[in-house]
Amino acid sequence: MKIVVCAKYALDVAELKISSGKPVLEGARRKVSDIDKNAVEAAISIKEKYGGIIKVLCFGPISAKEGLKELLAMGADEAYLIEDPSEGMLDTAATVEALALAIQKMDGFDLILCGEATIDGYTSQVGPRLAERLKVPQITYVRSIKIDGNNVIAERDLEDVYQTVKVPMPLLITVTREINTPRIPNLMAILKASKKPITIWKIEDLGLSKDKLEQISSLHTLSLEGFTVERKRIIIKDKPVDEAVQELISYLLKEKVLGV
Amino acid sequence: MPIDFSFTEDQELIRKAVKEWCERNLTLEKVREMDTKGEIPREIWKGLAELGVLLPTVPKEHGGAGVDWVTHCIIGEEIGYADITIATAAAFIVVEGAWGFTLDKYCSEEVREKYVKPAIRGEKFVGIATTEAGGGSDVAAFKTTAKKSGNEWIINGEKMYISGTEECKKYGGGYWILARTSPAPPEAPHRGMTAFFLPFDTPGVEITKRFEDCGRMAISTGGFKMEDVRLPDEYRLGEEGKGFYYTMEGFDNARLIIAASAMGVTQRVLEIGIDYIKQRKAFGWPIGKFEGISFELADLWTEMEATKALVYKTAWMNDLKYKGKFSAREVSKYISMCKLKAPHLALKACEKVMIWHGAYGYTKECPVEMGWRGVMSYCIGAEGAANIQRVVLVRELLGPDYVAYKKLKE
Repeated sequence: MKIVVCAKYALDVAELKISSGKPVLEGARRKVSDIDKNAVEAAISIKEKYGGIIKVLCFGPISAKEGLKELLAMGADEAYLIEDPSEGMLDTAATVEALALAIQKMDGFDLILCGEATIDGYTSQVGPRLAERLKVPQITYVRSIKIDGNNVIAERDLEDVYQTVKVPMPLLITVTREINTPRIPNLMAILKASKKPITIWKIEDLGLSKDKLEQISSLHTLSLEGFTVERKRIIIKDKPVDEAVQELISYLLKEKVLGV
Repeated sequence: MPIDFSFTEDQELIRKAVKEWCERNLTLEKVREMDTKGEIPREIWKGLAELGVLLPTVPKEHGGAGVDWVTHCIIGEEIGYADITIATAAAFIVVEGAWGFTLDKYCSEEVREKYVKPAIRGEKFVGIATTEAGGGSDVAAFKTTAKKSGNEWIINGEKMYISGTEECKKYGGGYWILARTSPAPPEAPHRGMTAFFLPFDTPGVEITKRFEDCGRMAISTGGFKMEDVRLPDEYRLGEEGKGFYYTMEGFDNARLIIAASAMGVTQRVLEIGIDYIKQRKAFGWPIGKFEGISFELADLWTEMEATKALVYKTAWMNDLKYKGKFSAREVSKYISMCKLKAPHLALKACEKVMIWHGAYGYTKECPVEMGWRGVMSYCIGAEGAANIQRVVLVRELLGPDYVAYKKLKE
C-alpha cells in the first residue's frame, strides 16, 4: 500500500500573540497542523495492519523540516518538502497545484490522506481540491477507515448522521480529529528519524514558477485582524436557585450565547 | 563565533514529545491525585519507559538511548515542569536516570542484564542508598562495612532516608550502596570504601522504616538494614577502594539533573503566578499592575533564565567531561553551583507565587503548595546539602586547605 499524507506546517494559533489588534506573525511558532497528525496516525495504523510505505508531503517554509521530522519519528517512512516561495500568501488552489505535481513526481499512490482542515487557515479545501486535480474519488470527514481488498470502507461524520461508504482505491480521504489520538514518538524513534530521508523540492523542480503560482492563486489577503476574548466574570450569588438560573439565562441571551 | 545556545533538532523534538506526553498523562490534577494518594501510578512509570526517558544517558550498546546530558536535562526540566512536587523527576529522572547511568558505567554484565536493562524498560527500580542515620553529607564517615569471604562480600549496616524503598520492594530492583572495605588513614577517611549494587531481595535486607515526608508524597522514603548480607563479587561496582570517587561522580550527575528539574518547577510555578496576577483584581486593577508583585516576577524570571543558562552550560561541560575535555573537578565546581542555586530558586518562586495567590495559595485547591513542599526536599538534601555545594566551591576557589573540616597546615 502506497500512502501519501499531506501535512501543513501551520501557525500554532493557540500560541499566536495579538498586538494592537493584529496577530504577530513574525517569529510566530509553527507546528504540524493537529488534524494532519491524525491523518499521519491513520496512515500508520493502516501500514501496521496491511503493510506499505508512508510518504508525508508538505508545501511550506524550509523550517517545516522540523515538523516533518516529527512525522518521520511517529512512523512515516519518507518526507517531501516543497519550499513555498511566498511565505504562506498563496491560496489553496496554488497549494494544491504544487502538491499535485509533487505527488505525480512520486511513483504512484493507493491512498492520499489529509486532515479535514488546517488549524490556521481552516478552509477545508485542500483535500477536496487535490482529489479533483488528481481525478480520484474522495471521502471527506472520515472518522474510521477499513481496507477491504481494493476498497476502502470509511465512516463519514456528517454531524447529525454517520454515513458509511465503500470506494475503490486509489482515492483521497480527509480525516476528522475524532478518528484517533496521534501517537507521541518515543526517544528512540526520534533518534532514528534522523536517518529517514527528507527530500526538498523547489517549485521549479516541479515545473512551476512563483509567477505561475501567483496566477493560479486568486485569493488575496487584504488585512488580518486579531481579537482577544475577555471574560465577563459575572458572578451570581446569594440568590435562590430558580432566580439565579433565570438571571444566568438573561445574561446568556443578552450575549447571544442562547437564541430564542 | 564558537558560542551557540541552540538545541539540536533531536533535542527540540524530545522536549516536545516529553511535554506532550506530560500534557496527556501528568496533568496538575493527576499530580494532585498522586500527592494525595502517596504513589506514582504504575502506568505513569510504564509510560515513561515507553517514552524512552528512563536512564536515557545509558549507551545504546547497553540498552539505553545514549543521549547526552543536555538532553537528559531537557527531560528533567519537562518532567519537573509537569510534576511540580518533583516526585516523578526525583524518582525516575534523577535517582534512576542519573544514578542508572553511573551504575551502568561501573557494573558487571550480570548487574546490567538483571537490573539496568529492566530499569530502562520500567520493570525494576534502581536507586541510590548512601545516607546513614548518622548523616548524609559526611559520606566518608559511614558505618556500613563489607568484608570479603571467598568470592563474596558480607555486608552489615543501615541506610536511612532512601528514596523509593517501597517501590523497590514492590517491583524489584536494588540500590547503589557504599561500604567500608578497609581501614582508612586518618587524613583520608574517604579511602577504603567500595561501591556495590545491592539487589533489594537479597536475604538479610529488611526495610526498617517508612517516613511520612513533608512533600513529594508520591515517592516513598525509607530506611533499611543489612545483616550479614552476602553479595557475589559481581555486585561490586568498579575497583575495590574507589567507591567514594565513583559515588561522587554519581552525585554530580544526579545534582545536575536535580537542577534541571528544579528549573522546570520554577518556570511552571511562575507561569501559574503570571496567569493569576493578570486575572486577579484588587483596588480596580489586576494585581500584576502593582510593582510589589510584578517586580518580584521580573526578578525571579531573570534569576531563572540565568540559572537555566548555568545548568545547560554545565550539562554541556558534563558531556565534554565524558569525552575527556574537562576535568571531573572543574565540572564538579559548576555542578555544585547548579545544585546550590536551582532548588532554592524553585523554592523561592513557589513561596512568592503562593503569597501572590493570597489565602487561596495556602490551600490545596491551588497547586503551588505541593511544589513548595516538594522542592524543599531538593533544598535540604537530595544528592547533597547546599552547604556541601559551598564546600566544593570553596575547595575549588580557595584551595583544599580552606575546606572547613580540614586542618590547616602548620
